[in-house]
Amino acid sequence: MGLKVPHTTNYLTEHFGDDGFVSLKGYEAQGGYEAARKALTRMQPEKLIELVKDSGLQGRGGAGFPTGLKWSFMPKDEDRPRFLVCNADESEPGSFKDRILLERGPHQLIEGILIAAWAVGAEKTFLYIRGEYSEPARVMQQAIAEAGESGYLGQGAMGTNFSHEVVLVRGGGAYICGEETGLLESLEGKKGQPRKKPPYPAEFGAFGMPTTVNNVETFCHVPHIVRRGAEWFRGIGTEKSPGTTIFGVSGHVVRPGLYELPLGTSLEQIVFGHAGGVPGGREIKGVIPGGMSMPILPAAELDVPMANESLRERQTMLGTGGIMVMDDTTCMVRVGCVIAHFFRDESCGQCTQCREGTGWMEKILNRIERGAGEEGDLEILLDVSAKMEGATICAFADAAAWPIQGLLRHFRDDFEMHLRHHRCPFHEGFRL
Amino acid sequence: MVKAVKPKKAAKSGAISGATRKRIAEEMQKFPQKRGALLEALHLVQEELGCIAPETARELAEIFEMRAVEVMEVVSFYNMFHAAPQGRHHVHVCTNLPCSLRGGRSLLRRLEEHLGIRAGETTPDGRITLGREECLGACAYAPMLRIGDTYHENLGVELAKKLLDSLE
Amino acid sequence: MTVRITVDGAAYEVEEGRTLLQALDDLGVLMNGVEVPHYCWHPKLSIDGSCRLCQVEVEGVPKLQIACDTRVTDGMVVHTKSERVRKAREGVMELLLVNHPLDCPICDQAGECKLQDYAFEYGVQHSRSREPRRALEKRVELGPTIVLDQERCILCRRCVRFCREVPGTGELVVENRGDRSVIAAFPGAPLDNDYSMNVADICPVGALTTKDFRFKMRVWFLDELPGVCTGCSAGCNIHAGVANNRVYRYVPRRNDAVNETWICDAGRMSYREIGSASRIHHPQVRGADGRLTAAGLGDALAVAAARLRAAIEGGGAEAVAVLASPHATNEDLLALRRFLAALGAPPESAGVAVPTGASDDLLLREEKAANAFGARALGFGGADAVIERVRSGAARVLLALGHDILAPAHLRGDVSALALLDGVILLDTHRSALERIAHVVFPARHALEKLGTLTNAAGRVQRVQPVVEPAFAAWSEGEILLRLGEALALPGFEEPAAWDPHAVSKSLGEELPAFAGIDVDSVGHEGLPLRGESA
Ligand SMILES: Cc1cc2nc3c(=O)[nH]c(=O)nc-3n(C[C@H](O)[C@H](O)[C@H](O)COP(=O)(O)O)c2cc1C
Ligand code: SF4
Ligand code: SF4
Ligand code: SF4
Ligand code: FES
Repeated sequence: MGLKVPHTTNYLTEHFGDDGFVSLKGYEAQGGYEAARKALTRMQPEKLIELVKDSGLQGRGGAGFPTGLKWSFMPKDEDRPRFLVCNADESEPGSFKDRILLERGPHQLIEGILIAAWAVGAEKTFLYIRGEYSEPARVMQQAIAEAGESGYLGQGAMGTNFSHEVVLVRGGGAYICGEETGLLESLEGKKGQPRKKPPYPAEFGAFGMPTTVNNVETFCHVPHIVRRGAEWFRGIGTEKSPGTTIFGVSGHVVRPGLYELPLGTSLEQIVFGHAGGVPGGREIKGVIPGGMSMPILPAAELDVPMANESLRERQTMLGTGGIMVMDDTTCMVRVGCVIAHFFRDESCGQCTQCREGTGWMEKILNRIERGAGEEGDLEILLDVSAKMEGATICAFADAAAWPIQGLLRHFRDDFEMHLRHHRCPFHEGFRL
Repeated sequence: MVKAVKPKKAAKSGAISGATRKRIAEEMQKFPQKRGALLEALHLVQEELGCIAPETARELAEIFEMRAVEVMEVVSFYNMFHAAPQGRHHVHVCTNLPCSLRGGRSLLRRLEEHLGIRAGETTPDGRITLGREECLGACAYAPMLRIGDTYHENLGVELAKKLLDSLE
Repeated sequence: MTVRITVDGAAYEVEEGRTLLQALDDLGVLMNGVEVPHYCWHPKLSIDGSCRLCQVEVEGVPKLQIACDTRVTDGMVVHTKSERVRKAREGVMELLLVNHPLDCPICDQAGECKLQDYAFEYGVQHSRSREPRRALEKRVELGPTIVLDQERCILCRRCVRFCREVPGTGELVVENRGDRSVIAAFPGAPLDNDYSMNVADICPVGALTTKDFRFKMRVWFLDELPGVCTGCSAGCNIHAGVANNRVYRYVPRRNDAVNETWICDAGRMSYREIGSASRIHHPQVRGADGRLTAAGLGDALAVAAARLRAAIEGGGAEAVAVLASPHATNEDLLALRRFLAALGAPPESAGVAVPTGASDDLLLREEKAANAFGARALGFGGADAVIERVRSGAARVLLALGHDILAPAHLRGDVSALALLDGVILLDTHRSALERIAHVVFPARHALEKLGTLTNAAGRVQRVQPVVEPAFAAWSEGEILLRLGEALALPGFEEPAAWDPHAVSKSLGEELPAFAGIDVDSVGHEGLPLRGESA
């Protein structure tokens, strides 16, 4: 696996303890906007895209798509206006890294956006922030204004003839608006119902124009890559998954919080080394490694390096790096109920399998948890989840199916106990 | 004392003020098509009037040169917009998995008992609408709740009750 | 440009840029040889891609693809019957049934419900779900014509797209999200447009029903007989739903050259004219007491012939004013031409009055008569010259096919100008002010009670056939004119002949070059344009 841990393992969050870093002055004091200056004045867009490709940076929004490659999809030699979208909808349960990147490092994000805009030739970025993130939105709005006043944004950025504008857009509260085409619809003032693909955003994106969508964190890595080079970046993390990411640890741990660590750091080290393990001397039962859409891992598999290539071998994924730790008092049927409720609630409702399957799964799980489960329920659950997979407009239905499959894969006993005893055998934990 | 954030008293009930109209017009400038400003407009109008009632949807439809029914469908899609009046304070308790693992659900239940209403309901005096909400990005600081725009994290039950009692 | 594709082993050449379902539809094989069940896709609406039922296997593509939104490419090899496809379909069907009420016995759609059909076809007649079904509103009035049952709705959004894309009125939306989604209109802005009832036709299930047809008749008792709407000159193709010799409804019949898959609400409701209480039920003759009384056909013919003969003897053919009907078939009107010729009058001496009304860019035509174009094509002139001849006293007898002359553009319902005539002979379907002053009245058949052709506003000749038999004695205008010619012993009418619309139709082409090769037996169910017309 060869995890490389060089000197800087927290370049994104290094200065987040410093209140001044939020201001333009404070950011500049740490070398802020130098990467943007370098990119805009000394690098051709193609060169920049090559650099990001070479760095191996993968999107941090959940799907892990290679960022440089995505940028290269934007059509060349076309005079339609083109847009960038920064996806700050962060609604994946267990994920709260983008919030801190917005609140504590707004200029780092703006700098990343500016460089990306130059690379893809975008005139405008829509920064789509989930509506509930009022404080992050306030901080960002202020930073955008500051950056405009100081000539980083707006007409003739940094003395070049490149112009760029960042428009902040508040969402209305719908998880599905994190899916990039749901986001685009929402941005256009519509319901956030994902679009059929093709056409992909690079061809037909925001308001029908060529558009690149990236996650907040993805943008934040970019200035560092420009400043220190692709090789430096590839020196962090694993060969296939370079760089750091910000793991969010929640649930039954002593020190829940955010930990910026190289990709490939073992789950065990994050949970025990950084988050202090489980309180009260209890044992770990299971850990969701990458936000609620990703299948759970049992305690025995915590040795897994937190990178997509290794997590896939365990039938799960890195997702957004939101790690949820559950101790041995946790009823996995209840966990299933909570997960199923969320996906039923948040399905946009277009696709048959997703609209009907999420509700059916929730009802079965609730019934099992109440002690009214019947023989055959688990088979139906698995069958419904299989029917939801890979057959819908967007990946939401997969995201709804996988975690339930994961629970049944690793904790089937919990379910069978409910069926056998006609009640929930766990007394502690959370009631529904 | 925590101040009421919404709804503000509208000068004329149901009518979007000139100031809000002006802000909506400014927002429209930022988008290639003015409809892009619709979500922001819904936020602004709801902050002013408390909800997006059908007559308000009709007004917005005129401003945006779209059909009122399309405004209605957008309002109905998003969690944050309401077609009917809500309590003066909207208290949202996160009950998603990370918060539940740390007591989010029991917090909600205790607050239901405390206020004598169920999640989704409004106190008879119109003071508080209690809601359960999906993940708010505060997973490490659970349990938590949101009152209007403000997050209150790492909340014990007693603290949370005090917080609610302090709402006007 | 065309590309070659293979579907279930059969090779087809299809137009480039089409989606698979469009291509199969173009070929006429969709659900007619190649079974790709679908709910959200409709040939005349934008692609939605949400029901996910139309999944097929495309070689070289790992995931199943939805046929409604997959474009054909040269060499594409498609399987619609593979095990994977079958399982995917079953999956979608079962999920659709999870919350679907078990309403079939009381559902109006039973018998023409795509959910019922596919469930049967694909062997998933109910879901394994034992959970309580979602409870929603069973009766929501979306507007003056349509009722919604939210529980039956499968959210295919056809109705929403229809309102946005066809009439452009956009009254309907999907409100809420996820499994709370329901079809809704804005308070105070109901579903109310000139085409609203089409949503009931395109709704694949029994969620949308017309108030007019709701609960009237189980569809499996209906014979769906092809016909043409007579509401205006658009000539929209319809199926008349008939049971017990009664028309219960019209539904659109697809004809891409005329009405695609739609009809207007007014036209749809025009079925009621057939069974209307104001039909003329028997021949009538005005007696010495000045009152119209029922008479036998022979008596009526004799009286009519006597009045005509007297007029002709007094003033020649000039003394007979003739009005052709824009509702009659081309065959009836050819009989009128022959009648006029036998009198020695040119066809243009007869006039045709055409009722008018609202029109739009979609289907509705200003001329509210199914064969106005045909009447002109047969050479009949304007109605005003005929009225002038009556006013001037040159004409002594009026032979009127229909009462359209009463229209605002002509007599404005005022029949006083006709009161001084020596005879008014009327061939008509429905009662009117003209009937009240007529001396002889013959009951005519409605266009859907006879065999013949109608020429629509675009010059397309379309076939009608009897969908019901009138419960009273009635004849097509052509037959009455034939008998009248015989009674008058006009030249060419000496030999008593049977009324044979097939033969008359054949001779249209002999007498009028525009009809060459076009007759009731050659136009088929979709019609043919008159020679020289592009329609
Ligand atoms: C159901 C669903 C929810 C998503 N939510 C988010 C989100 O909240 N934030 C985000 O950045 N990406 C989210 N994504 C991923 C986006 O679709 C998209 O891949 C991402 O924003 C691209 O950015 P990246 O390449 O920088 O990762 C979601 C995807 C799905 C299917
Ligand atoms: S998969 Fe679910 S969330 Fe995604 S488009 Fe379909 S219904 Fe909407
Ligand atoms: S009412 Fe009928 S047409 Fe409309 S969405 Fe529902 S099932 Fe489809
Ligand atoms: S447009 Fe004319 S022909 Fe068509 S349905 Fe309406 S009335 Fe009948
Ligand atoms: S017909 Fe293709 S998805 Fe509905």
